[in-house]
Amino acid sequence: MTTDVVRAERVLTKPQVHTRPQPAAKPRPRARTRSRLDGAAGHLVMVLLSIVCLFPVYWMVVTSLRPANATFETSIWPTSTSLDNYVYALQAIPILRMLGNTLLIASVVTVIQLFTGLLAAYAFARWRFRGDKLVYSLVALTWLVPFQVVMIPNYLLIAKMGLLDSVTALILPHFASALAILLLAQSMRSFPREVIEAARMDGARSWRILWEVMMPNLRGTIASLAILIFISTWNEYFWPLLLSRTPANSVVQIGIQMFMTTEGTAWGPLMAASTMASLPILFIYVVLQRQVIQSFMKSGIR
Amino acid sequence: MGQLSLVGVKKTYEGKQVLHGLDVEIADKEFVVIVGPSGCGKSTLLRMIAGLEDITAGTIAIDGTVMNDIDPADRGCAMVFQNYALYPHMSVRQNMAYPLKIARMPQAERDRRVNEAAAILGLADYLDRRPAQLSGGQRQRVAMGRAIVREPSVFLFDEPLSNLDAILRVQMRVEIKRLHKRLKATSIFVTHDQVEAMTLADLLIVMNKGVVEQVGTPAAVYRKPASTFVAGFIGAPAMNLLPATVGREGVVTFDIAPHLPLVRAPDLAPGTPVTPGTPVTPGTPLTPGTPVTLGIRPEAITLSSHPERGLPATVDLVEELGGSRVAYCDVNGLELAVVLPAGEEPYEGRQVFLDFGDRGWHLFDRISGKRLDTPTQEVRVQAGLRQMVPA
Ligand SMILES: Nc1ncnc2c1ncn2[C@@H]1O[C@H](COP(=O)(O)OP(=O)(O)OP(=O)(O)O)[C@@H](O)[C@H]1O
Ligand SMILES: [Mg+2]
Repeated sequence: MTTDVVRAERVLTKPQVHTRPQPAAKPRPRARTRSRLDGAAGHLVMVLLSIVCLFPVYWMVVTSLRPANATFETSIWPTSTSLDNYVYALQAIPILRMLGNTLLIASVVTVIQLFTGLLAAYAFARWRFRGDKLVYSLVALTWLVPFQVVMIPNYLLIAKMGLLDSVTALILPHFASALAILLLAQSMRSFPREVIEAARMDGARSWRILWEVMMPNLRGTIASLAILIFISTWNEYFWPLLLSRTPANSVVQIGIQMFMTTEGTAWGPLMAASTMASLPILFIYVVLQRQVIQSFMKSGIR
Repeated sequence: MGQLSLVGVKKTYEGKQVLHGLDVEIADKEFVVIVGPSGCGKSTLLRMIAGLEDITAGTIAIDGTVMNDIDPADRGCAMVFQNYALYPHMSVRQNMAYPLKIARMPQAERDRRVNEAAAILGLADYLDRRPAQLSGGQRQRVAMGRAIVREPSVFLFDEPLSNLDAILRVQMRVEIKRLHKRLKATSIFVTHDQVEAMTLADLLIVMNKGVVEQVGTPAAVYRKPASTFVAGFIGAPAMNLLPATVGREGVVTFDIAPHLPLVRAPDLAPGTPVTPGTPVTPGTPLTPGTPVTLGIRPEAITLSSHPERGLPATVDLVEELGGSRVAYCDVNGLELAVVLPAGEEPYEGRQVFLDFGDRGWHLFDRISGKRLDTPTQEVRVQAGLRQMVPA
């Protein structure tokens, strides 16, 4: 996950369109790092890192495929495979329903955060108003406030609204995110000024400039940001844990946790549920990743 | 219509004044070129006309309507930017039709205008391409097409050719001039390239450090530069500017060779004192000792190997221009450029004598840099060199 974020952020903060080569856009230190990594030693390091990152995932899949009596086997390859864990997981909890909820919540949150992020980022990037810098830093500051701090107030608010144990309540606190606003504002600031001015001369006002001129050229940033938001919403655990009462109104992360009981942990079914929970996200990531790189290369006029 | 009038236009950026009160009248259908060195405020002025920059003080009016508070889109101006500023995600056709789409023009009319502009600019075959799939020259044409379709009353160009290579730049220059002949809309063209400025302009505005130095036809600006700045900026190689001093009886002498009385300015009668730094009209006497600057174009000097023909100098370097050569001569540590016509020997490294002739002199006040004659009457400075060379 951390490597994903690093990679995505690098894509996110890169300006998408250049009308003039900007010397500032090519930081020298990174180029030096890259040339150093070009060597064989660099490759070796990267291979080792990949193994460290991928092994737990591999182990999860393998364990989920081992029959119940072989759950704690340590052979790299499973000696025998069975789908029993999956069958059990599907029967024990409404995991498909939970997956559906998670998908719904993650999709809705992604769309809403992108929407509010685009609007707010445009204002920060293009308008000068009294206190603009202050508001911007406040937004940046909310990013640093840990979730645990706002958890209780949010909970009380949701309870007052009578929305406990509902999917709506899982979406509601995620209408806007500092990450989306900051990253979009950053890439909008590096959008070529002359293109925006040309649009103004052509008669476009802010609304059109945002949706018809800037947005289509920020596709790369938006796609990568969407992935980030989607993944972090998908992986969310604390908030649903606090709010959910019935499995049918909850998300898959809670479902996974349900295999850890006071009597012990059902590792096989847990791994099966985890695999099912990560498959969609893996799939989406792979598909979108290609799109990110594509749109990244397509945009940019020279 | 596209008559423009700028009155007392000033611009201040965060307390730093960059335009110091400009007054310019531009007639309808005129092709005006604003030329000046980098940072003198050309783009700022153009962007203020376009409405992209606030006007700190003064007024900008188009056809009598004050535009200070009017939205850029409603000023009847279209702008072509240096970096083309095309919409990267739209095809050429969509780029050109975008202003019309915003104006809610009927589709049929949009198509008609885009096709017409594309035909004029030779873009008919590229209408479905993206800007990224075009060459620099083609992109610039699209940017012009996007301006043309709006049928604006004023075209604004901010160094539109400076990203193109030399050959393309000349082609596009000719094309822009041709386009202007065809469309007859007022055009304001910003450049720091003096060849572009001279060839395109009906009216030339020379700017320096946020002020207008001179307004006039290219020929008038070339023949009678209003200041040493204009004299040095317009014309290549640049005019030679030499420190000189008014001597007895209005005879101006060269500071580096004071024994040579250089010119005699009969209009500037000797006797009555004049404050240095104020423009001097012909007939007004100059006090002996007044520091002045003498200007002479490299084309007006001829080289000779005979001592009786003028000022001794050494030829340092000769630049080959094909049709002619430029000789850089050293006169007591001062460098003078001389244009040698084709066929003349290059003289490189040799001792020569500079013949200044008796026409084409320009006299400037050394302190203010202003020309020392009225714009209406040419100073008839007489070179007394030939007669006055000491024995
Ligand atoms: N947004 C701005 N904020 C502060 N100062 C500015 C701004 N834009 C321009 N300036 C200053 O105003 C002056 C004039 O700039 P301008 O861009 O008009 O010059 P220019 O004549 O177009 O030069 P060039 O030929 O290099 O394009 C410069 O000194 C520049 O530093
Ligand atoms: Mg400029």
